[in-house]
Amino acid sequence: MNLERIPNEEKLSLCRRYYLGGFAFLPFLWLVNVLWFFREAFLKPTYTEQPQIKSYVKKSAVGLTVWVAVLTTWITIFQHFRAQWGEVGDYLSFTIPLGTA
Amino acid sequence: MNTSDSEEDSYNERSALVQCESPTIPSYNQDHDMSLPQETDSKQRRSVSSGLDEPGPVEQERAATPEGEEEELTLKYGAKHVIMLFIPVTLCMVVVVATIKSVSFYSEKTSQRLIYTPFEEDPNSVGQRLLNSFLNTIVMISVIVFMTIILVVLYKYRCYKFIHGWLILSSLMLLFWFSFMYLGEVFKTYNVAMDYPTLAMIIWNFGVVGMICIHWKGPLQLQQAYLIIISALMALIFIKYLPEWSAWVILGAISIYDLIAVLSPKGPLRMLVETAQERNEPIFPALIYSSAMVWMVGMADSSNPNSADQRQRNEGGALAQEGVESEDDAALGGRRRFSAEEDLEEDRGVKLGLGDFIFYSVLVGKAAANGGDWNTTLACFVAILIGLCLTLLLLAIFKKALPALPISITFGLVFYFSTDNLVRPFMDSLAAHQYYI
Repeated sequence: MNLERIPNEEKLSLCRRYYLGGFAFLPFLWLVNVLWFFREAFLKPTYTEQPQIKSYVKKSAVGLTVWVAVLTTWITIFQHFRAQWGEVGDYLSFTIPLGTA
Repeated sequence: MNTSDSEEDSYNERSALVQCESPTIPSYNQDHDMSLPQETDSKQRRSVSSGLDEPGPVEQERAATPEGEEEELTLKYGAKHVIMLFIPVTLCMVVVVATIKSVSFYSEKTSQRLIYTPFEEDPNSVGQRLLNSFLNTIVMISVIVFMTIILVVLYKYRCYKFIHGWLILSSLMLLFWFSFMYLGEVFKTYNVAMDYPTLAMIIWNFGVVGMICIHWKGPLQLQQAYLIIISALMALIFIKYLPEWSAWVILGAISIYDLIAVLSPKGPLRMLVETAQERNEPIFPALIYSSAMVWMVGMADSSNPNSADQRQRNEGGALAQEGVESEDDAALGGRRRFSAEEDLEEDRGVKLGLGDFIFYSVLVGKAAANGGDWNTTLACFVAILIGLCLTLLLLAIFKKALPALPISITFGLVFYFSTDNLVRPFMDSLAAHQYYI
């Protein structure tokens, strides 16, 4: 859908829903929110709903950063220590690479 | 895994090439959609065909513009549409071929078959194998026809909730289950360790955002990307689970069925298209790929506003219900007629059914899987694109719902078999004798 074509209230409502939806373990949704509404929030001339859209975009960006940090940490820990964890490592693994310890 | 109905959900062929129109451009309507085959519990096929024919209101507008200018604009926009469709079709095929070449899972033949192709192909006897593949095709096509008819009946009796529920279940299956399988195979191929929590996050995010983009509202490019991805996933499933010869025969048979169902007066898809037109509704979202272009077109003269409004209204009504597709823009354009007559923008999008994506990719994927010769793969790819061009040309000429499968698949099949059997040995012996031409 084209953001140009919908009225501002609907844009705000859409942004808000995307923001709220991201709380369901959906950082990707927050990413989409940030990318999609970035221009609306920051690069367009001011209109009534813009401050709110801006705040939602900013909050989505914050949430996204937090999730990225958490996931990166976890992935690093897992990849590094997987072999050492033995049984727990195997239990957590979806695919186990062949030919390594 | 003895795959269940999931894949075979609906082969409704829908190739819809539909355009929202500006006052001066005739609309291209081409509807022939393949709905995604997905089914969780029953072997039901949805036939969805979207036909948005707007010959009536369009004709009125055309009278207003000089013939020559219109022709020129028609051709110019037609060319743009061809390009607009080349890119997603190419992307889908590239994804499928890349996967086939790298992940061996999808080209390994297993003894598991889809429930829709019950006859086993015995490699020892040519006659038996041929017979079984024809029988498989008959079974498959009859299931498809059955599903299409069910869908038309449901649509006629306005059981929208049922249809929407069906569509949602299907896309759920595709977005979650098939992508899970796909990711698993890719990780195994590249020997990467993956843990369940991360995997769950990935699949969950991918799936939910996909559902939102496809069935509700989302950025257009993301929606297009998701549609391409699920078409590719579907095509990969077909490539894996359809027996060799049956797959080729099925491709041929589906094109013929497509032709019949869309063009003949009693064809189920045509009836679906016409019913949708009568009711001025769009055919189900999530089964059509649409690309949108925005044109700045001047409203030529004041004698046009009524017809333009009517056209916009038609487009608005017909094109946007779910707000998922680019037609939404047209609907909003329609709504805007109240606000500004000098509104210059018209969204023109071309729509192609996802089934067409799927079967094009199946053809190219099978060409890539068999023998692994790039000559054949490229030849099929070019053939399909040529077929698509021709289909779009016909669409521009006839301006009604057209099937997109027959021409492309015919060319593709011809090119595949001739390249495989003629060109390849030729090139091989040239290379063997070091003779360069």
